Amino acid sequence: MDAAERALLAETVADALAAAPGVDVVATDRVLAELGWLDMLREETDAAIEIVFRALGSTNCHATLLDDVVTHALALDAGPDIAALLPPFGRWHAPGRIEGERVSADGIMTDRATTAQHVLIVSASSDGLRAASVSADAMSLTAVRGIDPDAHVHGASVDATLDATFDGGSSIDAASWATAVALAQRALAYQIAGASRTMLDLARTHAVERVQFDRPIARFQAVRHRLAEALVATEALDAALISAADEPGPQTAALAKAIAGRTARTVAGHCQQVLAGIGFTTDHAFHRYLKATMLLDGLFGSADNLVLDIGRGLLATRHVPTLIEL
Amino acid sequence: MERFRHDLHAWLDEHRDELAPDYERPGTLDQHMAQMQRVKSILHAAGWMRYGWPERVGGLGGSPMLRTELGAALAGRDITDPGLFSLIEVLAPTVIDFAPQALAAEMVPRLLSGEEMWCQGFSEPGTGSDLASIHCRATPDGDPATAEQWIINGQKVWTSLAQYSDRCVLLTRTGSPESRHRGITAFFVDMNTPGITVAPLEMINGEHEFAEVFFDDVVVPADRMLGSLHGGWAIAMSILPFERSSCFWQRIAYLYRRLQRLVDVGRDDDRTAEVVGNAFVQLHMLRSRSRVTQHRLASGETLGAETSIDKVLVATAEQSTYDAALRLLPEAIALDDSVAGELWRSEYLYSRAATIYGGTAEVQRNIIARRLLDLGADE
Ligand SMILES: Cc1cc2nc3c(=O)[nH]c(=O)nc-3n(C[C@H](O)[C@H](O)[C@H](O)COP(=O)(O)OP(=O)(O)OC[C@H]3O[C@@H](n4cnc5c(N)ncnc54)[C@H](O)[C@@H]3O)c2cc1C
Repeated sequence: MDAAERALLAETVADALAAAPGVDVVATDRVLAELGWLDMLREETDAAIEIVFRALGSTNCHATLLDDVVTHALALDAGPDIAALLPPFGRWHAPGRIEGERVSADGIMTDRATTAQHVLIVSASSDGLRAASVSADAMSLTAVRGIDPDAHVHGASVDATLDATFDGGSSIDAASWATAVALAQRALAYQIAGASRTMLDLARTHAVERVQFDRPIARFQAVRHRLAEALVATEALDAALISAADEPGPQTAALAKAIAGRTARTVAGHCQQVLAGIGFTTDHAFHRYLKATMLLDGLFGSADNLVLDIGRGLLATRHVPTLIEL
Repeated sequence: MERFRHDLHAWLDEHRDELAPDYERPGTLDQHMAQMQRVKSILHAAGWMRYGWPERVGGLGGSPMLRTELGAALAGRDITDPGLFSLIEVLAPTVIDFAPQALAAEMVPRLLSGEEMWCQGFSEPGTGSDLASIHCRATPDGDPATAEQWIINGQKVWTSLAQYSDRCVLLTRTGSPESRHRGITAFFVDMNTPGITVAPLEMINGEHEFAEVFFDDVVVPADRMLGSLHGGWAIAMSILPFERSSCFWQRIAYLYRRLQRLVDVGRDDDRTAEVVGNAFVQLHMLRSRSRVTQHRLASGETLGAETSIDKVLVATAEQSTYDAALRLLPEAIALDDSVAGELWRSEYLYSRAATIYGGTAEVQRNIIARRLLDLGADE
């Protein structure tokens, strides 16, 4: 896909999402399915996750596509009938354990938990990682309101016999899970990047329009510098995402996700201060983006956990890799 | 590019002993300067110092990224001081673009081959961030259009390496005092001209890396004017693209090297992991951004205000790296008089300048707000 095709697709997706009722997960999924999301994911994975997840973030639409990203990255057939069990909040390890024919697991699920027939669970077992599926009925779900009720996520756990209908526990190597984590981290980082841009746009617009002391607050250097900081963080995240796409791998993806979590916190902090009272009301859209990014930070590794892990990795190998070259 | 990098590193491996500093670390500034000039002459003779520079100044052509790779390789191997070496990028492109062709062809090879050092005389006691307010005056000897020489009077300050320099890219006031950026002219001045006095200043880390420079009836031939009369502002602005791409990449290479050092000696605990992890994340953001910027430059784009973002990131990452050093090695920085301790102490102190030189952190944020966020004029 060349740059012009990408731009056109990005526009199409953004327009479709802007027209979709933002808080309805089912409707958003349908809009994206009609745009050919699954084919895009299979044929143009990088472009698909960049364009679709960025657009989800910038429009604050919630979908269940992360399940497809994980399933696809594990070289399985993604589709609406298969949900994926995501790791617990803040973490990125395989969420399940297999002992004999039994699987037990703990994690988070998107709203696809309520419509899919099977749930893909990557589990640790005595002979390495296994991708297995259980019947969706076997999952015990707790609908979560949490910080972002619009996201419709669920706490999920299971203690069940492996499901024979879907490749009852095929062995995968640790690298496949690392690949799936990396792709999910990149998708989420794009989504956070989209949300961060919108927060900045909202605050910028407010700064130019809001008048105090007989002038737009955008004239005050304290306000200008906060917005400048927010832009620096947003641009740095975009650059980290380019690195993660050009040199794909667990390290560049984890860095992008860590940087995304940090960026969202920086951008939200500055924008919230600039928006002040109006941004503190639910009449203004800001709160949705703040809450969305607080949830997204916890999926497939929070910034704080990832930075600690990255640091441990540096100390374990006693090596600081440069990762990307000119 | 990969091929070039490979060949370059192979060559540097092969000539490791010849290129290595012949003095004990940390060394004095005199020693660093001598080492850099010696290394430049070896690299120039072997051709490496000529890649990425135009043929009309004795270069071998090719993308400017080639010279970035060279600077980064030297910084990453600790062969030359990266701050000193990257000054080439601040000075040579200006002379190539704005000096009369014959002058550029004569002078630039001298800088590249280590025969000469140059400096940049912009700041004055009354002029830092507000560069358009300079006072140092150049008066024509006769009619400005036909004068054969100009007389310069005034003072510059914080001029890096002035005491080592053979020439200076100097900004002077040629218009009325109120003419601001419309009345500035640049000259390429020989530092041994009578009337120039250089007084080195001691920096916060004890080094004498910059100086005050006094100009007292200094006579400069008219053919040493860079660009056009009153066209000096364009020259000041033209420096940004190279300062903000190649220079930064070299700095980044050195910062990775210093973080590597922290990781070599750091304790294996979670506090250390968090501190080095944080610095690494900052460096990765910076490296990612700088890479994108250099690809844009190499593909022919003109760099502008958006490089203020690179500048903020470089300053932040540099200070984060040395903040990490201060957190992990506080006693070394405060009390250790060994070579390693001296180096951390000196570099920690120097890192605080990253938000001052080349446009302060606040000035960058002003530019970002005005030019990139389009927030209109400020108060
Ligand atoms: C290590 C080092 C090397 C240097 N090398 C050179 C060199 O080789 N050649 C050369 O010409 N100069 C050099 N300089 C000088 C450097 O360019 C100036 O120090 C810099 O431009 C800032 O000017 P100033 O120090 O006068 O600070 P000022 O401009 O006086 O600023 C003081 C403070 O006020 C803030 N401030 C100023 N204006 C604004 C504004 N509009 N909005 C918000 N805040 C503002 C600044 O950010 C800063 O915090 C060097 C400086 C250092 C530290």
